[in-house]
Formats: sequence, C-alpha cells, structure tokens
Amino acid sequence: MTEPSDLTPPAAKTPKPPMSLRLRKWFGDLVSTRLDKSGGRIRQLMLVLLIGYLGIGTKLIRFGVSSEPPQTLKTAADQAASGARPDLLDRNGEILATDVRTLSVFAEPKRIIDKDEAVELITAVLPDVDARELRERLTSKKGFVWVKRQVTQKEQQEIFHLGLPGIGFFPESKRIYPNGPLGAHVLGFVDKDNIGTAGMEKYLDQQGLTDPHVPGFSVDPNALKPVRLSLDIKATHALRDELLAGMDKYKAKASAGAIIDVNTGEVIALESLPDFDPNDPPDMTKEANWPKINRVNVGTYEMGSTFKALTIAMALESGKVNLGSRIDARDSLRSGRFTIHDFHATHRVLTVPEVFTHSSNIGTARMALMVGVEGHQAFLRKMGQLDRLRTELPESAEPIIPKHWGELSTMTIAFGQGLNVAPLQAVMGVSALVNGGHMMAPTFLMRDEPAAMAVSHRVVSEQTSESMRYLLRSNATHGSGGLANIEGYYVGAKTGTAQKIVNHRYSNDKVFTTFMAITPADKPKYLYMVIYDQPEAAPGDGGYHTAAYNAGRVTGSLLRRVQPLEGVAPTSIFPTQPFPLIARLGFGADADKVGKE
Amino acid sequence: MWRLLHVLAIGALIASAVYVYSLKYQTILASEEIVKKRHLIAKEHEAINMLRAEYAHLVRPDRLQTLADKQLDMQPLALNQIVKAEDLPEPAAKVDSIGRMLGQSSTPAFGAVGSTPAQR
Repeated sequence: MTEPSDLTPPAAKTPKPPMSLRLRKWFGDLVSTRLDKSGGRIRQLMLVLLIGYLGIGTKLIRFGVSSEPPQTLKTAADQAASGARPDLLDRNGEILATDVRTLSVFAEPKRIIDKDEAVELITAVLPDVDARELRERLTSKKGFVWVKRQVTQKEQQEIFHLGLPGIGFFPESKRIYPNGPLGAHVLGFVDKDNIGTAGMEKYLDQQGLTDPHVPGFSVDPNALKPVRLSLDIKATHALRDELLAGMDKYKAKASAGAIIDVNTGEVIALESLPDFDPNDPPDMTKEANWPKINRVNVGTYEMGSTFKALTIAMALESGKVNLGSRIDARDSLRSGRFTIHDFHATHRVLTVPEVFTHSSNIGTARMALMVGVEGHQAFLRKMGQLDRLRTELPESAEPIIPKHWGELSTMTIAFGQGLNVAPLQAVMGVSALVNGGHMMAPTFLMRDEPAAMAVSHRVVSEQTSESMRYLLRSNATHGSGGLANIEGYYVGAKTGTAQKIVNHRYSNDKVFTTFMAITPADKPKYLYMVIYDQPEAAPGDGGYHTAAYNAGRVTGSLLRRVQPLEGVAPTSIFPTQPFPLIARLGFGADADKVGKE
Repeated sequence: MWRLLHVLAIGALIASAVYVYSLKYQTILASEEIVKKRHLIAKEHEAINMLRAEYAHLVRPDRLQTLADKQLDMQPLALNQIVKAEDLPEPAAKVDSIGRMLGQSSTPAFGAVGSTPAQR
C-alpha cells in the first residue's frame, strides 16, 4: 500500500498537471491493477518483506546465542544469594545441619536518593555495619549490593520502618548446625554464600548435591534429598564429653577419638579437640593453644605400640611364626649405634601372645626382621599404611615414610616408631585385622555390610584375624588394656605410647598415647580409638602417663557409655567358644584367664 | 424465518462469548488461588524447617545431658541392674488395705525398695 513515490510512472515527469489531477491519478494508480507494473511491485514487496524477516531472524539468533540473560534485579539477587543445600542427618535421622530462611538487606545504589542519609540511618540500625565501607558500596556503579547478610527479625523490622527507597530484602538460606561443635570436624562448614569450605559440606558441593548458582539452572530446595551420614550424634556427644573430661584430667594439649563399625567401615563418631563451632566459621581459625585440625584424618603420628598388632599379624600371616612360637627377648637388640629396649623388660624368651601383652619392642622387632624389609613394606602397603587414605572428607594426609627404609627402620616401625600415619589409617588397618581380614576404606556415609564387602578385599586370613582378636582379648584381660576391660562387655584392647620428638630426639616426658579397643572381641562390631597428645600423669597414677592410664581409662568409660547407646546391653554371659579356629590348633584358651604376672 | 435464525445465531454467539469470558475469568482466579496456596505452602515448609531446626537445637545431646544431670536422678546402665528372670525374687503375698493396717508395725518391708540399685 505504501508505494514509494519514485515508483510513480515516468509519465509524471512530463509537464506537471494540476495538483488535484495528480492526486487523483496517484490514487487511481494505487488501486488499479496494471499488468505492466505488477511484476515490479511484487518484487519490491518481496524485498521489503525479506528485509523485515531478516531483521527479525537476526534478532532471534542474537537472543538465542547470547548467554547473558537480561540483568534484572531478581536475577542479580538470585546470583548473589546463597544457594540451597540438602540437610545432613545422622544415622538415626537427627539433624546435623539444615538450611533456614533468613532475610538479607540489599540496596540498589542507583535508586538511592540521598546516599549520606541512607548510610547514616542504616548504620544507626545496624551498628555492626562499617559506615565507610557501606558508603563505598552505595556509591558504586553496581545495580545490586548487599548491605548486610542474614539480619534478625528485629533488624529487618527496623530497616523496613526507615522507609528508604532502593533498600530491600531478599530471602536467603542460612546453614545452621543445631548441635554446635558436635562432629564439627566431620561436618565442616560453609561460607557466607552457603558454599562448603570443609568437611562433608565440601564433599556435598563436589558431588553436585547442592544447588549451584548457575543462572537458569535453579534447583528447588525442597527437591534436595537429605544426606544421611554414618555418624551417631549421641555417640559423638559421648565421645566428645569423655575426651574433654580426660583432657582436663590429664592436662593433655589435644585429643581425638573415633568409633568405627569394623564390618562396614562406617565412622560412628569422630571428634578432634580442640574443635570449633561450625555456626561461627571464623571460630575455626581463632587463636587456640593447639591447632584445631582434624587429628584423626589430617594429623600424622607415630602410632606406638598399637602398630605391634600389624607386625604380629604380618608375622603370623607369613607363616614364619605361630601363636606358640617363642621369641627371644632376653637382651636388647642392637642395630648399628642404636639399641632397642623394652619398656616393660622381661629379659626372657617370650611366646607370641606374651610379646603382645608385654608390648615387647624387642620381640616385635625380631618378628619384623623374620619377614624382612621387603615383606614388611609390602604388608604395610597392603594394609593401606603407606599411601594417603582418602575418604569422603576432602581433608587427608600423606603418611610420612622414612627416606631410607633399612633394617633399622623395619625394626622401629615394627613397634610403631619411624612411620607417621593418620590415626584413621591405623584404625582402618586394625579393623581389617579383626573383622576377618577384609580391608575397606572408612566411610562417613551410611553403608550396609554387603555394600562394604563389595568394596573390600581380603588382606589377612580368617585364622590370622581370629588370632589377632585373641591377642587383643588377652591383652585386655592380662595386659595393658585392663583399664578398658569393663564389666559386662567382651573387650579386646591395645595401648600405644609413642614418645614425641622434641628437638630431633625422642622426649621422655612428652608422649603421644593411643588406645584401641574392640568389642565384642570374639566377633567385633565396634572399634574404639582414643588419642591424647602430651597427657600428664593424673594424681594417684604413680607418675605414669602411658596410654593405659589416660587413653585406656577414657576408652573404658566411653565403652560403658556408648555400647548401650548402640543397643548393646552389658551381659555377664560371655561366649564359651570365642576363638574356634585357633582352638582347634590348641591356642586361645587362656584369653580370659586373668593373671597378670 | 431467516431473521429468527439470525437472531438465534447472534444470541448463541453472544452467550458463548459471555460463557467463555466467565470461564477465563474463573481460570485466572483459580490460578491466582493456586499461586497463593503455593506461597502459603512454601511459607509453612519454611516454618516447619525452622521448627525442626529449633527442636534439634533444643534436644542436642549436651543440653539434654546438663538438664538430665540437674533434674533427673538416673544412673547409667550397669551390669548389676540386669537380672535373669529366674533370679528374680518371689513376689510378696498380696496384702489388702485392711491387712496393711493390721500389720503396719509388724510386717517387714519386702524385697527391694528404691528405683536404682544404689539406693537398695
């Protein structure tokens, strides 16, 4: 219809007719169909339409290709606001961590009229907001800035009543940990944007179980399935409570403990003291006398005599030694300029169970030498003691292995000196020794026995495992584990006291004590581990600060407390035939005969 | 005849238009209702979540322990509290109120008293 004027017929260029005639002719041309002009007109029309469609098409393509969504206030706030996280539950469904809705105050600097007034009024209501910093933020060119994250109900009311234009509220998720510091080292914590920075929280992010901040890809917070951990919050509390009491009593610098299900590898409880409150992440880095690390996963220590269990298992497994073998522990063992002594020296020939119950360094060193350096290394590698242990927790530590592993190293490592491993690693090794020989990495998530068996592999024979259970049981009845051999439970236990290295030499008064206990010893379900760093002798202990007196005693009260929590009532009826395999070979009958020499 | 048909057709047209309009209006109303209800549900969810968190905070083990230590007179489970059925003493003979009055001074207290072994 809107024919350009230059399309008027060339006849129009001849001497101009009067205006009215020209108009009439133009209208006449417009409505009349002239065959000679139709082709041209159709082409013109096609061109115009083509240009129009091309324009629309290119615009559409540009919309489709551009990844930048139109920046509205809503999207800006959505990106800045913290994402949703699934709840963390303990094995019984108790809440360990959950998200609650809070409101955060934001500002749109462009819409604020009087910035000085706004700063003045806001800082009057929110005294903890720095005035200069706020002014800087409000004068910035951004479309969206936070004023304060996660304000309280009262603060929100007050801000609302200020009636400032350009100040608004946006709902955000805030992570809370109702149990405070309980299990904090496992749970970890999140930053202000609800992104996990440590522990299982970080694991959740790594697994993509949380709602990421990708525009256009928002997960409904209700659709996030709660994640069930293997922890039992009640047992964790008991562990923390007992560890704290022990730390106070023995004036230890630090302490840690773990309870693990040896058949599934599930960590039932894990604590490391000093700890922190995950509700207040800066608490983690706050000044403490001793670092607030997860000593069970990240600390590496010389595990002391608890390592003897591994050495004896290795000797038994190699077949060079059986439970009836005799080991010469009459004299100190010399290697170069070093001499290996026994802490509780017996100066006689010991049987294998005696080597364990007397915790003979000489005896275990001799057993390790029978297997040899190569065999020792191979066995420890098989037991997972020489490689970094990785669990769901992002925190882990590489064991510290001697650079030159000669005979001397093998001799000292046999009784737990010279090799630093993470305590969880040692726990994993010992639980494989007692659960029938199935090696599996510990887990912080729920796992049942078939699933655990599927990921496990056999490291020692059933018979060796039973021998270890027998040795642990006899060490609890007439060895160093007596203080944890509490009434009503069939406990097996081993102490470990390692001297700490101070100025490149082993200190005599600074020790690192470990204690491991299994229950029930004939068919273990739980393994308890307690660690004390630099404990001192409690009054009445005759100046002893060895593992039995601190870690052992604490493990005893822990067992008494946690076993009923796990549904195991004390009983006076003990198994009559606890170790059938070795009984057939004529050993193991003396496990419960209390008669300490 | 044709005129009547025309009038009827026009009437039907108008009626259907009115009906469609009212239907559309009702739909809008219903969808608004749904949005409102969804908001309410979301709010309730949040409130439930908040209450769950508060409950978890109130029943955290260390708080319960301090409360239990203060308020309750309980003991940890111990071996001496567990007895086999055959080791239980014979129940005392039933005494009615008159019998109790009669033998108030002479009848000795039977069996164990007190709820915990320590008090026995």
